[in-house]
Amino acid sequence: MPAAPGDLGPALALARGLREAGVPVGTGRVLSMARGAEAVGPEDLYWAARATLISRREDLPAFDRAFEAAFGIETGAPPSGQEIADRLSTVVAPSGLTVAAGDVDDSPESNLASGIDALRTKSFADCTPAELALLARLMTRLRLDPPMRRTRRRATARSGDPDLRRTLRRAMRTGGDPIDRAWRRRRVQPRRLLLLFDVSGSMSTYSRALAMFAHAALRTGPGWEAFAFGTRLTRMTRALGTADPDLAFAAAAAEVTDWDGGTRIGESLKRLLDEHGRTRVVRGAVCVILSDGLEVGDPEELGRQMERLARLAHRVIWLNPLKGSHGYEPLARGMAAALPHIDVFRAGHNLQSLEEVAEVIQRAG
Amino acid sequence: MAFTGVDQLEAALAGESYLADRGLAVSVYLALTLRRPLLLEGEPGVGKTEIARTLARVTGAELIRLQCYEGIDAAQALYEWDYARQLLYARTLQDGGLDPSRRAAELYGPEFLVERPLLRAVRAGAGAVLLIDEIDRADEEFEAFLLEVLADAAVTIPEIGTITADAPPVVVLTSNRTRELHDALKRRCLYHWIDYPGIERETAIIRLRAPEASEALARSVAEVVARLRDLDLVKRPGPAEAIDWTRALAAIGIGRIDAASAAETLGAAVKNRDDMALVRKILPEVV
Repeated sequence: MPAAPGDLGPALALARGLREAGVPVGTGRVLSMARGAEAVGPEDLYWAARATLISRREDLPAFDRAFEAAFGIETGAPPSGQEIADRLSTVVAPSGLTVAAGDVDDSPESNLASGIDALRTKSFADCTPAELALLARLMTRLRLDPPMRRTRRRATARSGDPDLRRTLRRAMRTGGDPIDRAWRRRRVQPRRLLLLFDVSGSMSTYSRALAMFAHAALRTGPGWEAFAFGTRLTRMTRALGTADPDLAFAAAAAEVTDWDGGTRIGESLKRLLDEHGRTRVVRGAVCVILSDGLEVGDPEELGRQMERLARLAHRVIWLNPLKGSHGYEPLARGMAAALPHIDVFRAGHNLQSLEEVAEVIQRAG
Repeated sequence: MAFTGVDQLEAALAGESYLADRGLAVSVYLALTLRRPLLLEGEPGVGKTEIARTLARVTGAELIRLQCYEGIDAAQALYEWDYARQLLYARTLQDGGLDPSRRAAELYGPEFLVERPLLRAVRAGAGAVLLIDEIDRADEEFEAFLLEVLADAAVTIPEIGTITADAPPVVVLTSNRTRELHDALKRRCLYHWIDYPGIERETAIIRLRAPEASEALARSVAEVVARLRDLDLVKRPGPAEAIDWTRALAAIGIGRIDAASAAETLGAAVKNRDDMALVRKILPEVV
């Protein structure tokens, strides 16, 4: 406990401030802080509180703000430019998403009973909300099994490398002779899946359909990460895991699209690779990109970042709904620059195509 | 050796050529005083591993290092039996006609136990600094297992019994953030993010670690490296690279970094081909 009871006020205010900023601060941490603050002089209170209350670099700015508010001391760590940009972007009105959603035919005569077969080959962009809902139900039947990779961890197996520990145990039964031998082998584990959704303008319908698919297929599945991009990039794994995919997409689109629409795939990829390139999010994962490839940024930059991505990821699958229309050729400069670094190029514009994608992903091992 | 304050610890670390920033010194002091594990994160090369080494030196403790990697398990971290010797011994027991009920006890005696870092640290107790390096490389299962050992500072070996530390060892964990660690583990730990040092401190660090370099060389390298860190590089040079670079420059007899010598020795500081191309292009400006 701090020396004077009066000290407790700001300390609790600090914990409260952090909680309000979304940083989980349990009572245990607050107790640690009290003990830590007692152990050091008041001039080191900031560092003691920082060491005990948070454990993520991302929480540092929130901590500095909460500390300043609670103790009225400037910590001298101004928010980064990116942060300001992120905050501003939430104020900017969303553009494409609502327009695209309003475009779909909502008339009652659109035939719901048109048969699942017809629906399977119908482009998501032409589907009514009711049909999309039906598709979402159909998608829950799809299974998405990412390919396996061998881990370094070993488990008991019928054959493989000798398992000395078990062999010795069994040898005890046969008087010290290792007659009954045990084996172990490296375990396999599903690869992670990395989903990148283009949520700019016209792509939002397809992205939502793919998200429904991902949501349905992956909820209970292995590790996966999802990001949305427009002119910027945002992580939406958590939002997709917990919330209704539609809400998650509306929020993501509001955050990463500008009033003029447009897609900066190269820059968004760069941001992704800079932040997560060294982590398991990208390395060794099966990466699925859904975008029409209409890059407003520098196509060369897109090519460079795609090369980086291809080097890190296990497989790169690109879904481009435009490919579903007859006579499409990847002539857009962005798409052309990305193409050499793509392993599988598909349309993904209707359910049938997504079924194929599920199969492709499975075989991507 | 107990420290009476942060200042004293800071001075002791400096005495062993480690210039800690105030935040790190406070965190280490708290880890010693509160007997809590310290989780250190930071860009590669900022001295996460080095602080554990230095801490072991200033406290007169033994440094026990556990390097994590994917698939590491209890047999590699905690203990393992020497199976080959056990099998041989089992055969001799068979011939010797020992009482069968005592055979297992003989076979699982301490002489067949291969001690691994965690067990050694628990046995050494307060006399050890346990460095668990790059914990993010191990998998989640290992983390859960580690948590158990850290929580009780005790190890249970079914054949022998429970070994408990009289006082828990000082534990330093480092992570390069290739994955997010589990909350349960983080909650047990104090946390510090080691930032890049400022130019003044980096100069001092270089001077300490590369005594053969002149003050002017150390400062000029610190300044160039600070500017390189502002660039959009895939892998930014840390203090470790700055020290290497200074050494390389000093080795070829450079008194102060210039564009030509920087380009010749750039490989000591920049370790990525794309970064190399970018840096080479603007080197004349930053030097």
